[in-house]
Amino acid sequence: MFIKEYLTDIYKGTKSLLTGMKRTGYYFVRPREIITEQYPDNRETLVMAERFRGEVVMPHDANNEHACTGCTACELACPNATIKIITKFDITPEGKKKKALDTFVYHLELCTMCGLCVEACPTAAIKMGQNFEHSVYDRSQLTKKLNNPGSKIREGVE
Amino acid sequence: MNASAIIFYAISAFLLGSGLLAVTSRKIFRSAIWLLFTLVGVAALYFWMDVNFIGAIQIIVYVGGIVVLIIFSIFLTQQSGKEMPRPMMKRTVFSILAALFGLGFSYNLISNYGFTANATTPFNVSVSEIGTQMLSTTSHGFVLPFEVVSMLLLAAMVGCIVIAMKTPEQKQSAIRPVPVQPEMPVNIEELIITTITKKETPEEV
Amino acid sequence: MFSLEGITKSLQDWLYLNFNPTWALVIECLIVIVLAIALFAFLGLVLVLMERKVAAHMQIRLGPNRVGPKGMFQTAADTLKLIMKEGLTPDGADKFLFNLAPFVVMIVAMLILAPIAFAKGFQIWDINIGVLYVSAISSLSVIGILMAGWASNNKYSLLGAMRSGAQIVSYELSAGISILCIVVLSGSLSINEIIASQQNGWWLFKGHIPVIIAFVIFMIAVTAETNRAPFDLAEAESELTAGFHTEYSGMKFALFFLAEYINIFIVCAIGATLFLGGWMPFHIGNWQDFNHIMDYIPSSIWFFGKTFFLIFLIMWFRWTFPRLRVDQLLNLEWKYLLPISLFNLLLVTVIAIFGWHF
Repeated sequence: MFIKEYLTDIYKGTKSLLTGMKRTGYYFVRPREIITEQYPDNRETLVMAERFRGEVVMPHDANNEHACTGCTACELACPNATIKIITKFDITPEGKKKKALDTFVYHLELCTMCGLCVEACPTAAIKMGQNFEHSVYDRSQLTKKLNNPGSKIREGVE
Repeated sequence: MNASAIIFYAISAFLLGSGLLAVTSRKIFRSAIWLLFTLVGVAALYFWMDVNFIGAIQIIVYVGGIVVLIIFSIFLTQQSGKEMPRPMMKRTVFSILAALFGLGFSYNLISNYGFTANATTPFNVSVSEIGTQMLSTTSHGFVLPFEVVSMLLLAAMVGCIVIAMKTPEQKQSAIRPVPVQPEMPVNIEELIITTITKKETPEEV
Repeated sequence: MFSLEGITKSLQDWLYLNFNPTWALVIECLIVIVLAIALFAFLGLVLVLMERKVAAHMQIRLGPNRVGPKGMFQTAADTLKLIMKEGLTPDGADKFLFNLAPFVVMIVAMLILAPIAFAKGFQIWDINIGVLYVSAISSLSVIGILMAGWASNNKYSLLGAMRSGAQIVSYELSAGISILCIVVLSGSLSINEIIASQQNGWWLFKGHIPVIIAFVIFMIAVTAETNRAPFDLAEAESELTAGFHTEYSGMKFALFFLAEYINIFIVCAIGATLFLGGWMPFHIGNWQDFNHIMDYIPSSIWFFGKTFFLIFLIMWFRWTFPRLRVDQLLNLEWKYLLPISLFNLLLVTVIAIFGWHF
């Protein structure tokens, strides 16, 4: 029936509008819900989310050892040539030659934080860091060397 | 000359000036705007005379209604932003003559009547009295014109709906804009058979 | 008790004692002009800040909080910026009308201010057809918008102006009819008499459900008339870039912006006067003691409190609802609001004739 449909329309419309207003009103009277971070003021206490991608880092343990074998899987995975790996040949105690990492060059200015290198790494040697304050005065400072000086590959990582 | 007279002459000057601009402007939209200012000036005169109700109605009907409609129709016209060509000399002369004749005629009438200035009783009619008079059936009641005008407006409204309404055929075509073709037989054999049968049917021949 | 009535009366007496009537009138006019402009500037600053703060809190944000304590001077800084900006006039525009339009919008907003009663006995012009005057003048505000849209020589502006025109012309009807409901109940068009008729309770509570329906329709219609979201098709940012004021910059833009907020204030003041009793304190029937306590709160605070409550309501609409399409907008008016308000007016008339209201 026409009148019944008409009134049902009005009832449903009003109800849905009130539902929306209830939600915004709920937020209006509860300032605790505010999610704004007042960034430069709260720099000391600011905690970034774990999944935030700020830059690629290579974790080193206490003995200055990393897990990179120099396989260049990350270099191949990178869509815009952000990573350049320079390898060298170590002599193992058995007298064999073995490929190892010399320098992990990372161009931050080219990186889009896609995370494909981290996914490609077979030994989990690199991961995404949470630092986002990257501004510098000279572009050349954005080209970084990720492995610490004098570091070597951890024992048992192949 | 007191403040009231100064205000009267200011309003009149405004009214006449904008009226003159409305008829002499060569851009049609500007003409409409000057017409609007003229009508606002008339409303201002009503307010000056303390007949507030008439002033408000003047604004609602003429300014808010009619001029807005005129402006809308100008918006929908082609090339309404262009400057119009200068009118012919003959036309200008005759329109000036017509205006002068109208002025002389009405001046003649008014001067014959001989208004006397009476400032003794302020002209004040309450709105409820206007309403009562409008619907009263006594000797000075306006119920008949009121009803006739309302019938006219009702007829205009019905006419608008009739013009705007879709006929059933138009509604159908609005739902299905492309007429659906009868399905063509895909198979070639079928096609041949159908054409042959069509030829053989006596109605087709 | 604190009252503005005494101040205005003694000022008028003093003026008429010391000057002849013409000069007294001129001086009074000057005082009114200064007060009105001061009110406009104050409202512009406060309402813009209020809007931004309300919007922020409804969207779980903080809003402006850098200029001054809690961002209180943000709008002042914005105004300063707009004053210093260049007021561009586009090359293909109709220069005269382009520059006239913001002033038309502003003058219309000023004219509607005249019959509003801000406090007991504090009113610019006690006109006997107050409500009719307001609805007449508010129909003028569309002219400024149409003028701006045409003179800009810009397709977005023209589209915005036409949408705005269609919208204002249609929503005026249901706003007018819901105003009529109160006129029928109180039996007068004068703002003062309408307020006086709410001595024993506001119409919203006295008039049963029909008046509540009229109030809801009035709020919806005036939201549309002031071109605010969810009815802001005339200046839809995402499709028309800014509608009729796309081409405006600097102070001319600021005038449009200011006029929008002044119009919100005015329609909310009218709503508060008609449905919530204007400056009339909250009275309940014959509870003399209760009414007496309420009278101790000054009438101007009652008026501004109610008005700002309604403004908050309109802001709440804006930051909750998505924008309507043109066909939805016209459907809402012609298929829902207008029939309902006509039927509602009938109900209110029956109530008024039989005296069923409290």
